[in-house]
Amino acid sequence: MKGFTPLVLGILATLAFSWLGLAYIPDLQIGHLDPQSDEEGTDIYPMPKSGMAERGRRIYVANGCFYCHSEQVRADYAASDIDRARDAAPSPPSKWGDRRSAPRDYIFDRPALLGKMRMGPDLANIGKAAPAEEEAAPAQPSPANPANPVPPGASPPVANASPPPANAAAQQNAKPAAQPSTPTEPAASPPATNASPTPTNATAQQNAKPPAQPSTSPAPAASPAQAATAPSPAASPSEFPAPYSAAWHHQHLYAPRSLNLDSDMPAYKFFYEKRRVGGEQSADAINLRGEGAPGEGWEIVPTYDAKCLVAYLMSLNQSHPLNEVKSAAPPAASPAAAKPVAK
Amino acid sequence: MNPTEIPLKSPSSVTNLSIGDVEQVERALIDASTRVPVLMFYASAVVWLLLGTLLAGFTSFKLHSPDLLSNVSFLTWGRIRPAHLNVMLYGWGSMVGMGTAIWLMARLCRTTLRHPLLLVTGGAFWNLGVLLGICGILMGDSTGYHWLEFPSYAAVTLFIAYSIIGSWAVLMFRFRRGDPIYITQWYLLAAFLWFPWMYLAAQTMLFIVPVQGVLQAAVNWWYANNLLFLWFGSLGLGTAYYMIPKVIGRPVYSYHLAAIGFWTYAFFASWTGMQRLVDGPFPAWMITASIAAMILCIIPVATVGLNHHMTMRGYFPLMRYSPTLRFTVFGAMSYTAFSVLGVVISLRSFARYLQFSEVSVAYSHLGLYAFFSMIMFGAMYYIVPRLVGREWRFASLIKIHFWASVYGIGLMTLMLLAGGMVQGMNMDNPTLPFTESTQSVLPYLRGRSLSGILMTVAHFVFAYHFLLMLLGLGRTASVPTFLNPVNPEPGEMVAH
Repeated sequence: MKGFTPLVLGILATLAFSWLGLAYIPDLQIGHLDPQSDEEGTDIYPMPKSGMAERGRRIYVANGCFYCHSEQVRADYAASDIDRARDAAPSPPSKWGDRRSAPRDYIFDRPALLGKMRMGPDLANIGKAAPAEEEAAPAQPSPANPANPVPPGASPPVANASPPPANAAAQQNAKPAAQPSTPTEPAASPPATNASPTPTNATAQQNAKPPAQPSTSPAPAASPAQAATAPSPAASPSEFPAPYSAAWHHQHLYAPRSLNLDSDMPAYKFFYEKRRVGGEQSADAINLRGEGAPGEGWEIVPTYDAKCLVAYLMSLNQSHPLNEVKSAAPPAASPAAAKPVAK
Repeated sequence: MNPTEIPLKSPSSVTNLSIGDVEQVERALIDASTRVPVLMFYASAVVWLLLGTLLAGFTSFKLHSPDLLSNVSFLTWGRIRPAHLNVMLYGWGSMVGMGTAIWLMARLCRTTLRHPLLLVTGGAFWNLGVLLGICGILMGDSTGYHWLEFPSYAAVTLFIAYSIIGSWAVLMFRFRRGDPIYITQWYLLAAFLWFPWMYLAAQTMLFIVPVQGVLQAAVNWWYANNLLFLWFGSLGLGTAYYMIPKVIGRPVYSYHLAAIGFWTYAFFASWTGMQRLVDGPFPAWMITASIAAMILCIIPVATVGLNHHMTMRGYFPLMRYSPTLRFTVFGAMSYTAFSVLGVVISLRSFARYLQFSEVSVAYSHLGLYAFFSMIMFGAMYYIVPRLVGREWRFASLIKIHFWASVYGIGLMTLMLLAGGMVQGMNMDNPTLPFTESTQSVLPYLRGRSLSGILMTVAHFVFAYHFLLMLLGLGRTASVPTFLNPVNPEPGEMVAH
């Protein structure tokens, strides 16, 4: 090497070359994707997440969830991700995914939390694993968006099961601490969950009790916030909540080993508040039995952060078919209607 | 250029009077000019090392005992882990690497360090940046990008600090005396130019003008892998290229090999990174390009390994005496192991199983600890006595440090490799429940915690020894501290 200048130029050029190849050119190729929709401009996928879910993503990041949970499903030829069923819902099986993940699935994600380690299961489709009546809620459009992305076949949304984000944000201030309704059962089911009680778990089905009378449910002011947090009908007082429902997530975050003895997840008790029951027990209180139960007269309720985190988890759903990806299962929507948006 | 032109001197033993007095005085002057900043960088690095070690142990124990202190938000596993990682990367690794590089630059450019207090200011800002970043992570301000978790306020502080430190190192290169540029200087200069390049590019593409969706992950791993290879790797290799010939007192075996090794390294290693995302949601060509680059990295690895080996040939027994040589050669050998493992786990047929397992943790530790940190320990054993004017006090402490580190990292690598393979095989078997994969790796993770205890011992012993040196409690002797008594045979080099 003759001297300073060629050495410096060579050093800078090598990295510039790699940046060009691995950052710049991919940006030209997949850096400006649009959501896809059908010919009528409806059935848009993916959609931006609600405000609560976006805040939940911050909490997911802040607490390093992505160090143990990936959010990507590899192709069937590359790994057996698609064949893997979730532990808590083996029958009927809730799979990690029906198809591989594609760049378009992540276009609104910031950061895109693909993950590098699986000390916990993949979460790319954890929202899909929720019981049917809760699954529809996170997919609701924002009020500004005229499109209606409710997939055909999903249960018709009950009015207060699908709050627009603005409503949900307002809920932050309205603390449903004191609820004037009459106390009946500790975890009275709100009316929203009566829509289609379909327990997905065999155990839950056995023990599913008839839902409580709608008239005794909590005050209407508290209802919208429960779209993401309401216990499902399968969560009868003596049993576990339905797998991957919001109530299940809350209990899982609060005490992972109360649901799965083999879980290696740390408990996130600092997301939850232990407080005295004021009047009636809150509808979103964690229904913990046995060891770790809060004791008589006390209840454990999620903080707003916990609700956001669960809203984020419930929003993770890559089940919508993508034109560029071969789905393992036939898509629910008519394939002829699905065409990519012209850029 | 032929090997005889390499500006390497025979070993700088004090007893060897064949070296001209002028050169000796000159070196003493250079060392004196670097004393304050380099010791300041080293002291900061050692403090960060201890903090990072404690955080590492905590992370490791929490992974198999998840209920340990999990009720406090800032002690949750998902915050302690990035805190550990960033303390090690930016606190320990970068500080010790830059300190060593400054000293090496001054020595090799044969120029005294001008305005050393500016460097101290840079170092102080860097420490501030790391401190801010760690506090930010623990408070829940992490950005969510691997190895870039520091929130923006810490990143800006780091970058300001770096521009002071880095421009100083590059300026020193401009003031060099003597025309030939030794291979170490190439690596160091490259590292000092690459780091701001990649840091700025990553910060821009992730935070200032964020790229869309999955490309964030691509940019993230482009940065992380380049940080590993082009920053830590270059600092480590450059240091090894200085220490090994210097201690044994013979020139590098082949200068041509060194040049080939450098440019192929710069060219191929910079293209790796996407193999960390094997079969993820990306165009396949990106990942394939990185896998190919990983395989091609065998060329620089083989060249560097061959060069070091041929330089050392016949001199391996000196590792019995010289702490520097022992640490450096261990590091250089680990570099080969690290690279081979890197190739293996990037191949698609292996990545299928190992992609999301603990094996990638083993890989990172092989690179950052067994290779980089061990070479840096070696460099510190060489440089610190020249700065404080005292020799290391206890050979026994150096031995404890070495063996505890070696057994620690060895056990850790074995545990994580074996555990990660079991974990990966179970994970790819859909008939087993998922928890089977995590349950099966737990015994290995307990073994890893055990290795962490060894490494903690090593680091505290080293820190104590280093503190003695800083306090001027080293030995006042005319000969360096050898690990074992040297028989004064006429044919044998007195090495340090």
